[in-house]
Amino acid sequence: MGRQIGEVILDLKNISLSFGGVKALSDISFDVREHEIRAIIGPNGAGKSSMLNVINGVYRPQQGEIVLRGEHFANMTPARAARAGIARTFQNLALFKGMTVLDNIMAGRNLQMRANLFQQAIWFGPARREELAHRAKVEEIIDFLEIQHIRKVPVGRLPYGLQKRVDLGRALAMEPQILLLDEPMAGMNVEEKQDMCRFILDINDQFGTTIVLIEHDMGVVMDISDRVVVLDYGRKIGDGAPDEVRANPDVIRAYLGTSN
Amino acid sequence: MIYRENGQFKTSYAADQQIFPIRQDRIAILALLIFAGVGVPLFADEYLFRAILIPFLILSLAALGVNLLVGYCGQITLGAGAFMAVGAYAAYNFLIRVDGMPMLIAVLLGGVVAALVGIVFGVPSLRVRGLYLAVATLAAQFFWDWAFLRIRWFTNYSSSGSVSVAELDFFGWRIETPVEKYLLCLGLLILFALVAKNLTRGAIGRQWMAIRDMDVAAEVIGIRPMYAKLSAFAVSSFYLGVAGALWGFVHLGSWEPAAFSIDRSFQLLFMVIIGGLGSIMGSFFGAAFIVVLPIFLNQFLPWLGGLVGVTISTAAVSHAEFMIFGALIIFFLIVEPHGLARLWSTGKEKLRLWPFPH
Amino acid sequence: MAFFIETLIGGLMAGMLYSLVALGFVLIFKASGVFNFAQGALVLFAALAMARFAEWLPAWFGIESLALANVLAFLITIAIMFVAALLIERLVLRYLVNQEGATLLMATLGIAYFLEGFGQTVFGSDIYKIDVGMPKDPVLILENVFEGGILINKEDFIAAVIAATLVTLLTLFFQKTATGRALRAVADDHQAAQSIGIPLNRIWVIVWCVAGVVALVAGIIWGSKLGVQFSLATVALRALPVVILGGLTSVPGAIIGGLIIGVGEKLSEVYLGPSIGGGIEIWFAYVLALVFLLFRPQGLFGEKIIDRV
Repeated sequence: MGRQIGEVILDLKNISLSFGGVKALSDISFDVREHEIRAIIGPNGAGKSSMLNVINGVYRPQQGEIVLRGEHFANMTPARAARAGIARTFQNLALFKGMTVLDNIMAGRNLQMRANLFQQAIWFGPARREELAHRAKVEEIIDFLEIQHIRKVPVGRLPYGLQKRVDLGRALAMEPQILLLDEPMAGMNVEEKQDMCRFILDINDQFGTTIVLIEHDMGVVMDISDRVVVLDYGRKIGDGAPDEVRANPDVIRAYLGTSN
Repeated sequence: MIYRENGQFKTSYAADQQIFPIRQDRIAILALLIFAGVGVPLFADEYLFRAILIPFLILSLAALGVNLLVGYCGQITLGAGAFMAVGAYAAYNFLIRVDGMPMLIAVLLGGVVAALVGIVFGVPSLRVRGLYLAVATLAAQFFWDWAFLRIRWFTNYSSSGSVSVAELDFFGWRIETPVEKYLLCLGLLILFALVAKNLTRGAIGRQWMAIRDMDVAAEVIGIRPMYAKLSAFAVSSFYLGVAGALWGFVHLGSWEPAAFSIDRSFQLLFMVIIGGLGSIMGSFFGAAFIVVLPIFLNQFLPWLGGLVGVTISTAAVSHAEFMIFGALIIFFLIVEPHGLARLWSTGKEKLRLWPFPH
Repeated sequence: MAFFIETLIGGLMAGMLYSLVALGFVLIFKASGVFNFAQGALVLFAALAMARFAEWLPAWFGIESLALANVLAFLITIAIMFVAALLIERLVLRYLVNQEGATLLMATLGIAYFLEGFGQTVFGSDIYKIDVGMPKDPVLILENVFEGGILINKEDFIAAVIAATLVTLLTLFFQKTATGRALRAVADDHQAAQSIGIPLNRIWVIVWCVAGVVALVAGIIWGSKLGVQFSLATVALRALPVVILGGLTSVPGAIIGGLIIGVGEKLSEVYLGPSIGGGIEIWFAYVLALVFLLFRPQGLFGEKIIDRV
């Protein structure tokens, strides 16, 4: 393993979120260290996705704050999160369906592209140079994810498993420091799950990207993550290394649903 | 020559990013341009220029503008005609109020003013989407309809309410004959079509399409919805403004606000639906279709009526036009939502494999 | 003061008619998520059918009584609107289930064009009269409260009462009947409604039919006032800001939005019009709705939309 787990890079403090009276998250705190793979698990409706949406500013929590590399964010927005180096994938695939795989991933690099509207209108010159430079970068990602053969296909026509990969590719194109993965393995067969695990581990290992991932399937997560947070009904019921969490009686109860 | 790309390998990303990556396409498009620039002026008569070719070129430009906004950025507009009107009247005012203003500069300035107005009326798109936005763009339509009718300054206090441009001066070259007008429109159209293609294949085009396809995800990857949407409104309105100015200056010569009424807006929307949303090529197909169809019906229906011994009045033809347009819109939305452009590319796919079925 | 109240009442009555057209929009939007741009064409189509049948029936069958001719024409038109609803569902909507709102909007634009062309082909394109015996003369009321009294147009008053009745009936229909409940279920979630056995197609035919009847009533009222002509189709364009103001999914919103727009238009025309030129009422309503949208995108009574990812 070439990676070294470092200092706390992302710290979530006392996050509470509710939708018109329905509590989705109550008073949740946890931290994420640099270069680690941090999992958030919990049964359906535990508030995992809400948690992710809070981290990158899609939802604004009523209470609590996000500290990112020492910087306090009282109200995070998706734009700020993107600029601060947070990328994410989506549970229900939020790809740009009418665009090709290549364009989807290229779109992930828009923050790094500088040519203005007039340069783009002329095309020849700065716009084209920039386009080619980023294209080379994107092709690296395409190679990494092994999707060369479909780069010119509109994503709407791809099967689910490949779409998931494109979603990951688009996030990677941002060269994020923190990558949020929303149920990356949901709805996949065993082989696809193995592929996805390999990609996640490789990303973490090769690029040193910090990964926060959500799963409700405990098995895989326990194998690949360094530390695990367990949510249930919007509360934190466990936090620690996979083995610790597995032994936690509250967690067992939440998952097995004992009657008392 | 068989339409095939075998053996044409791309060895650089630059080669892969050309507008027409297949060699046969490049040859065809070049031939088409030469034909349009040289061949057409040789044989076309005045009627063809006035009734079909010039309207086709100008409306293609307008349809391009609508397509950039609706097809690429996904912001529906029912007020396209208003931006044509703004372009036309702004250009007119530049022409008559600034001494020695060249016609072409006035036309382009008309586009710039339309772009600015487009940004203002695009602001609601930041708060509302889809259906509500469609209604917001209608506000632009009705407001400008009213403004050009009632605010006399815009029409230079002309007593009839209509304005006219007497002569078209292209940097010393007086544009009088239909051929010259045709070439002027053709030149501008080629230029702006190229610009549109450049924009849509580059970063801004991806931002527009990202906003269209999934705006939440677009924001998450750092696309600013405000910039993306307002730039789409600005560019689209610029195209419409230039098209409007040309429509007034070159095609009509003298015009009233009714030339840019809500019917024009709907007509432009129909062009991009029938031609193909999100396709540059589609804008041309749509414009051609909508320009030619009424002329065709005007000839064909009375002839058809003559066959069965019924006289078909002009009114009946215009009602039939309404019905056929309506039916076609529905047909395309159901059967081929990507319009004629998709039919065209499906045809090309087939040709690529021909004579093998798969 | 009396003049102000007169303007206000005039506005409220015009507003009631807007509400009626807006109600057609809301009904269809609630049940099918379709923003029905063809509502105006429906009004024109229904009014044309009504006007022409009221003219043709006496000529064909020698019916003497105007009332009988009107009633028969009314019934025939309702039947026509039913067939139209059926065809719209069969030929258009059925194929566009689960499409995006914008696509559906454009489809209704197609329907509108078709209906306008078809209606004029079949029924003619002149100006026709609908004479249902509406009194034309104005009356003075409240003479003892205000000096000179307040002038009210009887026709407007009756129209407003009819509109109000229809609105009440429709609200009851939506809230109290089994069909109404099914409609609301479909509005909430097409698939869920289908899965508990609500026939989606039939529901759509019903709402389009109801919207057709609403259009007919609006067409009769407007037609008897202004004559049946092509411009009736633009009535819908004037009712659009109403829907925006009230919220696309709200029946009370359509009513109150209509009243606000009606009053706003009249007041602006009377008090602002002279200073900035006449004819402002059409865009004034839009701008009013637009400004409102910027602060409350979901309209007065619309439900707040929470984005989920």
